[in-house]
Amino acid sequence: MDIKNLLTESKARFNHNSAKAYLAEKFKSKLILAEHGGLWKADAETISLLNSFTSANLVIIDTFNNPVKVDRQQLLEKLQQIYETTMEQWYAEWQLLESKR
Amino acid sequence: MTRGAILFAFNTEKFNYYEMAEYAAKRINHFLKLPVTIVTDEDSYPKDTEYVWDKVIKITPDKNNTRVWGTWINKGRWQAFEFTPYDETLLLDVDYIVNSSNLLKIFDFYDDFCCHNTIDFLMQPNAEQEKISHYGYNSLWATVVAFKKTNKVKNIFNCMKMVQNNYEFYMNLHSFNTGIYRNDYALTIALSIINGHLTDNRDFIPWNLLHIGNNTQIYKSNKNELDSEFTVTFDNWQRGKIRKEYITINDLDFHVMDKELYVGIIENEK
Repeated sequence: MDIKNLLTESKARFNHNSAKAYLAEKFKSKLILAEHGGLWKADAETISLLNSFTSANLVIIDTFNNPVKVDRQQLLEKLQQIYETTMEQWYAEWQLLESKR
Repeated sequence: MTRGAILFAFNTEKFNYYEMAEYAAKRINHFLKLPVTIVTDEDSYPKDTEYVWDKVIKITPDKNNTRVWGTWINKGRWQAFEFTPYDETLLLDVDYIVNSSNLLKIFDFYDDFCCHNTIDFLMQPNAEQEKISHYGYNSLWATVVAFKKTNKVKNIFNCMKMVQNNYEFYMNLHSFNTGIYRNDYALTIALSIINGHLTDNRDFIPWNLLHIGNNTQIYKSNKNELDSEFTVTFDNWQRGKIRKEYITINDLDFHVMDKELYVGIIENEK
C-alpha cells in the first residue's frame, strides 16, 4: 500500500512533539566533533567558554570529562563552523515542521 | 589502515537474515562508503545472489538459542575480532538500518572500542534505559560496535566468549533471567570485567541508539532502495482507543527490533 493512502485510511495525525524530539536527536549528534585529542559538543556553553578567554592555549574538559589542552582560537573556529551549519539545517527542518501545523 | 563493516546472518525457520544482511550492506556501502564482510552459513548463503560482498565467511553456527518465535542464531558474535579482515571494524546487527553517514564520526574519536550505552525510542519519549537486572548494570548494546585490533579489544571479545559459555552462571550472578542468550548482556558483563568494573566513557558512543519499539511501525516513504526518508507511525492508546500518529524522518540511523517490520520494508521495495 502507498504510504499516503495508509496514513489517510488510518486517519493518522502528524505528531509535532515526536517530530521535534526526532529533530533534536538527529542534530545533537551532528554537533559532536573530535578535535585536539578530545571530543566536543558545538553548543552554546563550549563556544561561550572558548570565546570568553584570550589566551592562545586553554585547558578545558571535553565530553569524556578529560582535561584537554587546546588551541583556543582553532577549536573555537571549528565549533562555530559546525554550530552554524548544523543549526541552519535544524532551523530549515524545523520551519518545514512548523508549516505542517 | 583498512576500514569496513562486518555482519552476522544465519537464516532461521521464520526469518531470512541473509536478505536483511544484504539490505543492510547496500546501505552501509551507500551511506558510509565502507566494504562489508558477511559471516554466514552454507544454508543461508544463496547461490544466485548478485550482491558482491567484500568477503564471505561461512561457518557452522551454534543454533542453541530459542525465543518464543523460534531459533535465534545470535551466538558466536565474539568471533568478529578473529574474522574481521579490517584494521578498524564496525560490527552491526543486520536489523540496524544505516541511514546517514553519522557512524563514520566514531572513527574520529574512539580509542579502540566503543558501543552504545544509551537508547531512545522513536515516537516514545523518555524511554527508560534497560538494566540487566533491577540492581544490575545499565545494559550496553551490541547493535553497533566499533573496534580496532588491539589487545584490549581481543580481551573484550574473549571475555564475551567466556560469558557466552558460562551464561547461566552470569545470569545467577547478576540476577537476570532472560531465558535466552543476549549479546547485549554478554557485552555489558565483558566490558565491565575488562575495565575492572569501572566505567570508561570513552567506550561509549556519545549519542543514543534509536529503537523502533512496541506499537511503532516504520515504512519507506518511497520505493527507492537507498532513499533516506521513512515514515514512522505510532499507535497511541488513549481511553481504550488507538490514535494513530506519524512523523517522517531522514538522515538518521535506527534499529528495527521487530523483524516482521524489517521484512515488510524489504518486501515493499521489491
